[in-house]
Amino acid sequence: MPDLLDIAQLAVQAAMQNGAEFADASVGSGISVGVDLENSSLKECEVVRDYGIGVRAFYRGGMGTATTTSLSEEAARTVGRQAAEMAKATHGDPDFVCLPDPQPWEEVPGRWDDAVAGLPVDVVVQWCRAGIEEAREVAPEVALEGGAGLDYGEKAIASSTGVAYSTRGTSVDINFFAVVQRGDDVGAYFEFDAARRLEDFKPEGVARIATETALRFLGSRQIAKARMPLVLGPMAVSGLIGAVIGASNAESVQRRRSFMVNRAGTRIAAPCLTVREEPFIPGGLSSTGIDGEGVPKRARALIDNGVLTTYLHNSYTSNKAGVENTAHARRSGSSAGVGIGPSNLHIMPGSRTEKELIADIEDGLYIDYGGLQPDSTTGDISATVDFGFKIENGEIAYPVSTTMVGTDVFEMLGNIDAVSSDYREEPGSITPSLRIRDIMIIGGA
Amino acid sequence: MREIIEDVLKLAKSLGAEFADLRVTEGTGTSISVQDGIADRVNTGHASGAGVRVLVDGAWGFAPTNNATAEEMKRCVRDAVSMAKAASADVSDPGMVCDIEPIEDHVEAEFEVDPRDIPLSQRVQTVYELERAARETDRRIVNTIASYRDSAGTSIIANTAGTYITGTAVRCGLNIHVTALDGDVRQSASKHQSNSLGYEMIQAIDPQTFAVATAQKALALLSAKRAPAGKFDVIIDPLICGLLVHEAFGHNCEADAVWSGNSILRGKEGQQVAARGVSIYDDPTLPKLNGSFSYDHEGTPAKRHVLVEDGILQGYMHSLETAARFGVRPEGSCRCQGHNYGPIVRMSNTLIAAGDCSFEDMLADTKSGLYLAGGHWGYVFTARGQFTCNVENAWAIENGKLGQHYRNVCISGLTLETLSKVTAVGDDVRFELGGTCGKNGQGVPVDSGGPHLRISDVVVGGQE
Repeated sequence: MPDLLDIAQLAVQAAMQNGAEFADASVGSGISVGVDLENSSLKECEVVRDYGIGVRAFYRGGMGTATTTSLSEEAARTVGRQAAEMAKATHGDPDFVCLPDPQPWEEVPGRWDDAVAGLPVDVVVQWCRAGIEEAREVAPEVALEGGAGLDYGEKAIASSTGVAYSTRGTSVDINFFAVVQRGDDVGAYFEFDAARRLEDFKPEGVARIATETALRFLGSRQIAKARMPLVLGPMAVSGLIGAVIGASNAESVQRRRSFMVNRAGTRIAAPCLTVREEPFIPGGLSSTGIDGEGVPKRARALIDNGVLTTYLHNSYTSNKAGVENTAHARRSGSSAGVGIGPSNLHIMPGSRTEKELIADIEDGLYIDYGGLQPDSTTGDISATVDFGFKIENGEIAYPVSTTMVGTDVFEMLGNIDAVSSDYREEPGSITPSLRIRDIMIIGGA
Repeated sequence: MREIIEDVLKLAKSLGAEFADLRVTEGTGTSISVQDGIADRVNTGHASGAGVRVLVDGAWGFAPTNNATAEEMKRCVRDAVSMAKAASADVSDPGMVCDIEPIEDHVEAEFEVDPRDIPLSQRVQTVYELERAARETDRRIVNTIASYRDSAGTSIIANTAGTYITGTAVRCGLNIHVTALDGDVRQSASKHQSNSLGYEMIQAIDPQTFAVATAQKALALLSAKRAPAGKFDVIIDPLICGLLVHEAFGHNCEADAVWSGNSILRGKEGQQVAARGVSIYDDPTLPKLNGSFSYDHEGTPAKRHVLVEDGILQGYMHSLETAARFGVRPEGSCRCQGHNYGPIVRMSNTLIAAGDCSFEDMLADTKSGLYLAGGHWGYVFTARGQFTCNVENAWAIENGKLGQHYRNVCISGLTLETLSKVTAVGDDVRFELGGTCGKNGQGVPVDSGGPHLRISDVVVGGQE
C-alpha cells in the first residue's frame, strides 16, 4: 500500500502543474467487515477493501473535481490533471478567496483501537449469534434483521497551501431491527450500539431491547386529531436537532435557501435548549482535532440557551462572509466533495427525569424514534409517527398508528418546555428527551 | 477477460462454493452544477472493480476489489469463501439458488448521442442556459441550482451456472431546484429527469417546461396557505401515484422482505390487497425509463412482473435466492449499486395501470377533498405497512372544482387500507419519478408512475 499522504501531495502537485490556482486532495483507504442477518439467521459475511483519490482544483474560483477508485502514483497524476481541466471548464466563482493555510492542531485520543482493527470475524459472528439468542428468549417468533461490523482505515489530506495530514480511525457497530407478528398485529423496533474503541462497545442487550420494545408496539390504535403536549425520546430528539444544526450550514444560508437565514445571534428555541459541539471527547464517534480542510476544531455552544450562536462555516463560506472559519468542513474517505457539518453534539440535560416530564401530561403523545425533520427551505414539519405512544394520565398508555405531526420548526423549538435529566449517551454524544407543549397531532380516528 | 473470470469461478468451486457469481464494472461520469448564474462545479469520476459472491454451506460470502485483475479477483474468492465459512455454522435458514439456465449475451446500450462526444464546454453551456431560464423568471427567485450528470460504462456478469453477459450502458440526468422568497415566506420547487438515454435526452428538454415551470411552481407556493390537517378524500396526481405505488406497495412486494417477515403482504398471494380496478406492475422492459434494463445483476432476463391484477395479489419480485425459497421462476428483480455491493431484490419501473376515468370526470365527481400534486420523497415501514409520501402542492376541492392552494405536506396511511379505498383510477399514466431508490444502504435507478387516483379517508399532515 503506497503512503497515502504522498499520493495526496502528488495529486495536488499534478493539479497545480496543470494550471490550478489552488488544489487539495483526499486519499482514503479502509477495510470493513460486516455480518448480516435475515429472518433471525446469519445470512452473509463480507469484507470490503475500499480506496481511492479525490481532488479539488480551483481556477478563478471555479471548482473542478475528479475522483478515482484506483490508488497509485499514475492515478494521482491523472485525477490531479483532470481536476484542473474540470476547473477550467467552470465559469469561475468571484466569491472564492483561498484554501486555508496549515495551522497547529492535536489529534483526539481514542480514534484508533488496535483491538478493533485486529478483531477476527468470528467475534463479529458471535455478537450476531448472541443477539439472535437474546431476541428469541424474549419472543421466540421474532424476525430479527440487522447485523454487526467493524471498519478501520486511514485518510490523508494535502493542499497547495501546505496543509498535509493523515488520520486513522476505527469503528465497530451492531444494530438489530426486531419484528414480532401476532396475527395481523405487528410490533417492530430498532436498536443499536456503536463505538470507536472496543472498551466503549456494548453489543450485549441490543437485540433484547429491540425485541422487548417491539412487543410494546403491538396493539397500536388510531387517535383523534388534537393539539396536545409531545415528548420526544432521545432518538427522536437526535433527528430533530441534527436537522436544525444541519440547516445552519452557512452555504445554504448564504444561498438563501435555508429556514435559518437571518437567525444567527437570535433566539430560535426556548431558553432551556443548549446544544454544544464537543469535538475533543476521547473515543467519540465524531471526535476530530481538525476539519476536512485542515482547520483546527474548537468546542463551542451552537445553540446557547435558545440562541443560535453561529452558522457552520468552511473556508469558502467564511471567506465569502468575512467571518471566522468555524472549522466545519467535512469530507469522508476519498470523496472530492467537501460538505459542512458538526462533530459530537451534546444537548445539555435538564433537572427532571423523562418519567417525571411524562407524569405531568394528562393527554399527550410520546415519540420514541423517527423523523420530525423540518423541510430544509420552509421549516415546515409534516411527519408520520412510526414509533409513538399515547400518553394518558401521566403514563405511556398504548402505541399509535396512522398518526402525524403538523407544525413548523420554530413553533416546535419555541414550545420546548423541559429537557430531561436522563439521556442516551453514545461515545462523544449526549441526547436527553425534550417535552414540547401544544403541538398539532393528526390521527386517523 | 473471459478466461480470467472462468478461472476465478473455478477457484470458487474448488474452495467449496456451491454457487458463485461476480460482477465486473468499469465506468466514467461527468457532473456539472450551475448555481445562481455561475457554472462553478464540474466533476469527472472513474470507478472500476469487481465483486465476488459465493454460497458455501448455506452462508453467503462477499468480497469486492477496486482492481479487477486475475490476482485480485482470486484474492476476493478466497476472502469471500473464508467469510462464508465463518458464518456457515450459525446459519439456521440456509441460503439457496434456484436452477438457472446459463445465458450468454451481449447487450449494447441504445442511445443516439454519446454524451462523451459533446464538448464539456457545450454541456456546461446547456446547463447554464437552463439555470438562467429559471433564475430570470422572476426577481423573487433567490437561489437556483441546475445540475447535470452523465455516465457510461461496461459490465460483465458471470456465474458458476455458466452465465456470461457483457454489456454497455449510458445514462443522463438533469435536476433543477429553485428557491423563491417573498418577505419572510420562502418556498422551493424542483424537477428531475433521469433516463437510460444519451445526450439526446438533454437536447430534447424544453427550458420553458423544465426550468421556467419549476420556477413558477416555487413562486406559486409563496402565496399558498398552510395546509389543513385531518382525514380527506384526495385525488393524487401521477407523480404522487408513482411515489405511493413504489413506497407503499412495491417495497412490501420485494420477496426478501416477504420471506423475512418484514412485509404485510406475506401469505396474501391470491388475496384481495387493493380495490377492484387497481392493477400494479413492475416492468424493467419499458423502453428507456430510469429503471429499465435487459438483465438484472444476477444475469436473469428482465420481464414484466404482474404484482396485482384487479386488486388481487399475484406474486412478488424475486432474486435467484427468493425464487428458490418460494418455488417460482425469477423474473429479474435483483440489482446492486456497484461492484462494492452484493445484489438484493429491487424494483425497476413500478406502476399502477390505467383505468378508464378522465381526470376531469374524477374531479367533477368529487364534492369535497384535496387535490395533491408533486412530491420528491417517501418511505415505508414495511413490517407494519405504514407509508409516508411528501406532497409539494395541495388544492381544496369544493363541488368538483379546485379552490385554495396549500403548500407542502405529507400524507400517511396503512398500505392495504389505503389501496382498498381507491374509488377511481385515471386513464392518464405518466412516469415522472425517475430517481434513486435506497434500500440496505444501496441506491439503484428506478422509476414509477401511474394515473390520477382518487382515494377516500387519507390522513394529511397539515398545520391548520
